[in-house]
Amino acid sequence: MLFLALAVTLAACPLAAPLSRLVGRQAGAVLALPLLLSAALLLAGGSPHAVVEQWLPWMPSLGVGLGLRLDGLGLVFSLLVLVVGAGVMLYSTRYLGRERTASFYVLMTAFAAAMLLLVLSDDLVVMFVAWEATTFCSFFLIARSGEGAREPAIRTLLVTAAGGLSLLAAVVVMIVVTGTTRLSEVLAHPVWGSDAAFTVLVAVLLAVAAFTKSAQFPFQSWLPDSMVAITPVSTYLHAAAMVKAGIYLLLRFSPALADVAVWNVLLVSCGLTTALLGAVSALRRHDLKELLAYSTMSQLGLLVAMIGVGTPAALTAAVVHTVAHAVFKSALFMLVGVVDHEAGTRDMRRLAGMRLRMPATAAAMGLAAASMAGVPLLLGFISKESMFAALIESPWGPGLAALMTAAAALTSVFTVAYSARLVLGAFSGRGDRLVREASPLFWGVPALAAAASLALGAYPAPLDAGIGGAASVAAGSEQEVHLALWHGLNAELAVSAVVIALGVALVLGRRRVDVVLAPLRSPVSGLGVVDALRAGLIRGGGVVGGWSGSTSPRRHLAVPAVCLALIALVGLPGLGELPPVAGDRSRPWDWALVALLAAGVIAAVRVRTRIAAVVVTGVVGFSMMLWFFVLGAVDVAVTQLLVEVLTVCVMVLLLKRLPARFARQTLRRRIPAAVIALAAGLATALGVWALTGRRGLSPAAEYYLREGYEATGGSNIVNTILVDFRALDTLGELTVLGVAGVAIVALLRARPLAASREVDRVTGSPLEDAWQNGAFLRTATRVIGPIIVVMSVVLLFRGHYEPGGGFIAALVGGAGFALLYLAAPRDHRARIRWPYLLLIGLGVVLGTGTGLLGYLEGSFLKPLGTEVLGVSLSTPLLFDVGVYLAVIGVILASLNKLGRDDPDPAAEPPQDPDAGDAADAPGRRPHTPHYHPTHREVKTR
Amino acid sequence: MTVAITAGLLVAGAVYLFMQKEMLRVILGFILLGHAGNMILLAAGGTSRREEPFGAPGDLSAVADPLPQAFVLTAIVIAFSITIFMLVLAVTGREGDDATDGSPEERTEDAR
Repeated sequence: MLFLALAVTLAACPLAAPLSRLVGRQAGAVLALPLLLSAALLLAGGSPHAVVEQWLPWMPSLGVGLGLRLDGLGLVFSLLVLVVGAGVMLYSTRYLGRERTASFYVLMTAFAAAMLLLVLSDDLVVMFVAWEATTFCSFFLIARSGEGAREPAIRTLLVTAAGGLSLLAAVVVMIVVTGTTRLSEVLAHPVWGSDAAFTVLVAVLLAVAAFTKSAQFPFQSWLPDSMVAITPVSTYLHAAAMVKAGIYLLLRFSPALADVAVWNVLLVSCGLTTALLGAVSALRRHDLKELLAYSTMSQLGLLVAMIGVGTPAALTAAVVHTVAHAVFKSALFMLVGVVDHEAGTRDMRRLAGMRLRMPATAAAMGLAAASMAGVPLLLGFISKESMFAALIESPWGPGLAALMTAAAALTSVFTVAYSARLVLGAFSGRGDRLVREASPLFWGVPALAAAASLALGAYPAPLDAGIGGAASVAAGSEQEVHLALWHGLNAELAVSAVVIALGVALVLGRRRVDVVLAPLRSPVSGLGVVDALRAGLIRGGGVVGGWSGSTSPRRHLAVPAVCLALIALVGLPGLGELPPVAGDRSRPWDWALVALLAAGVIAAVRVRTRIAAVVVTGVVGFSMMLWFFVLGAVDVAVTQLLVEVLTVCVMVLLLKRLPARFARQTLRRRIPAAVIALAAGLATALGVWALTGRRGLSPAAEYYLREGYEATGGSNIVNTILVDFRALDTLGELTVLGVAGVAIVALLRARPLAASREVDRVTGSPLEDAWQNGAFLRTATRVIGPIIVVMSVVLLFRGHYEPGGGFIAALVGGAGFALLYLAAPRDHRARIRWPYLLLIGLGVVLGTGTGLLGYLEGSFLKPLGTEVLGVSLSTPLLFDVGVYLAVIGVILASLNKLGRDDPDPAAEPPQDPDAGDAADAPGRRPHTPHYHPTHREVKTR
Repeated sequence: MTVAITAGLLVAGAVYLFMQKEMLRVILGFILLGHAGNMILLAAGGTSRREEPFGAPGDLSAVADPLPQAFVLTAIVIAFSITIFMLVLAVTGREGDDATDGSPEERTEDAR
């Protein structure tokens, strides 16, 4: 039932976009239905004093699930969210213009769903996600309101997202300490009573989260700022729903925290401060909507203070006032929207110059404002009475009780004054311009809400059960609630009477009040603080970024090298007793390899020309190949050999575009480099010596060696690991490879290659002519080429049983292409023009597709085998073909893009005998005349 | 011992090349660092057992660990593609492959 209600609400979201394309603003009328249906479902399935729970596993290993729980508190809030939401949807059909409405409806329905999820969720993780979702919906709804809304939207996001982080911290702390993510279990956990530090921490974090959401001091500034959003958004988010999320959170955790002093002090002091601040500010506003925004802040402040008091009476009063506030404030916002829509302004100074003949709107606004002011017979009166009563009976002695009551009463005096200011400001104009009543469909919804304020105020009994249920949950004990208009002559009635009398006095003397209040200026503007913090943060980021802002690789690469040495230095004393070395880690002939490799490394750091550097690094690579061979890694050795060959091929392609010699380095730079290098090398050697080779065969290796052949039918265990056991790893690596290939191509398309160097050549020698020069290689390629192709295919297919496999086969094939390239007399004649990007894509697709085939037997990449016409085909083989294609694609991409200059469209066609080959685009190398042997002008250079 | 020395030599060479101003030498440094990483991976599997991991199980006491070998095999190919990518970075854009950022302090350091 709960899932159904949530699903119905959620269903409105995907429906919203097509619907509003189809019928424009009228979509709201349809979208109200799922919200109402969902509300009906909850009403039918839930009851104020019972609990309905549903659970759907989401991340079972973490114990996180989509847990929904409907209790009295959830019921009241979800009904508020859904019914007010439906009302706003209906209202929007008249308020919105002919502009595009799809994003509005999508976001509003998404917001309703998020809010419903928030108040129903019984899982802390889900609750946090829903909380953040409301933040984002609010951001987008404000931001879509036009150019001027950008900054307010960002400020709102910054403040509420900061609160979200606070909630996240609270959620994490609660989950870690209680060991469960279920909200109901967390709240029932004994830790709240026993661990004071935990309780205080969570109380502060939750309070901060709620304060940002409900615009409480010192986070209040975003709420008036957000009034740039259109009126339906303000009505729903910033009056009835989103700001109530903070109230919900506080009420939800009240049973665990109501006795915590920090909680009481924070909530009461911040709440009452906000209440007074908001009320005084509201009295100074000329914009009707802004006035309502400050009033919302003020009323929420009262609610927060009531929750802070924490007695059952105070919590009951908070729930009553939440309901009352939602009803009258949504009505007021919508009615201001009606006035704004019809009169074209909501500034009371401009409205003073008009005459609004809008009896229904005026009557409804009068009623709703009276409810806000706490005039008897209206729901607002009942809620205000119960708040005064709870404050007078608050548990911290008569002094504090009197102080708090006085603050609340003063707020209420101002409330009366600004309620009157609102109505009078809208309708007391005596100008010439006549504004007529809007259509009943427009003012109907808010009038209904205003009427509800009256009806429920006069006869509040229908609310008893629901509010009692919510109060019971918030108080943690069963509460019987009987709302009534008349409680006899008592203290709270006296306070109410004084409040109304003083309020009326303020209304009568409103011109004097304006004169007193107008010059008041807050010394610090909340918005200014937010903006200053933001600018400061960005500046701070710039400063921190500046420390590492260099684009010079050596500056960045030095850091990890130094750190490696430092780690070794710090870790050395902590090594302690090492386990004995298992077996004999070295063989006598190893030393020959070490010597060879050392010679290569020393040469690599000392050589002065680029070509020599490439050659000696090749020496190191070949020593590595021998090392792998000696260590029993045949496939690895073969791969290393082939990669070494291909790396040298690609480097040679690029060397002609770089200077021949390296720049001279000063001794002052060489010495620190050498010191860091030696330290890092020493640390590495020490680490490898101390930390490896001190155990037997690992269990994983033992499994692969014992079971590998049986399980896969392949005798090359390394290859079976690649394509059977750990194929997902290989698929990931395949993808990285493909991405690298695509990146190479993209980079070369975006940026030109550096120009080739001018080379002095000996004229008249056969070396000068590429055709003669390549004769030997060309002849050899004719013989070797086919052999390489056959070898490549054979290696691919036998990889499962003997050295070979997709990687090796593709590298052999790639070497074949490199040979073709080298043997060609001219770049563009080389037969390497294959669709390399397609090959890369095919490889990745084939690998993934093979993985998907595995689902036939239950899981991704599960190996399958079948016999077709006596030939055994298996998905690992297919997977290896994918590897093959991707690797060959990358090699072809680099040969094609680096080895061939793209034809220059501006250049004239080359005049040489090879021109006219239709399949190959004619390439030209303006900077490499030696590639155009027939160009005689070369010699004149 | 020999494997440890090999890895240490490779890292020392790599780090020294990292400190140079030419992109090509930095790339060669990365190649050496890749070798070092592969060597350490194999060392982690143990280098006292050196028989090729092939075929049906027999006596396992001398057979090398196949898992690091599989890691190293793919690592070599990936390092290859990354090397090409870095080479492309070296030859596109600015003339030459001087990789220093041209900031005043770096220039003065080089001039000294």
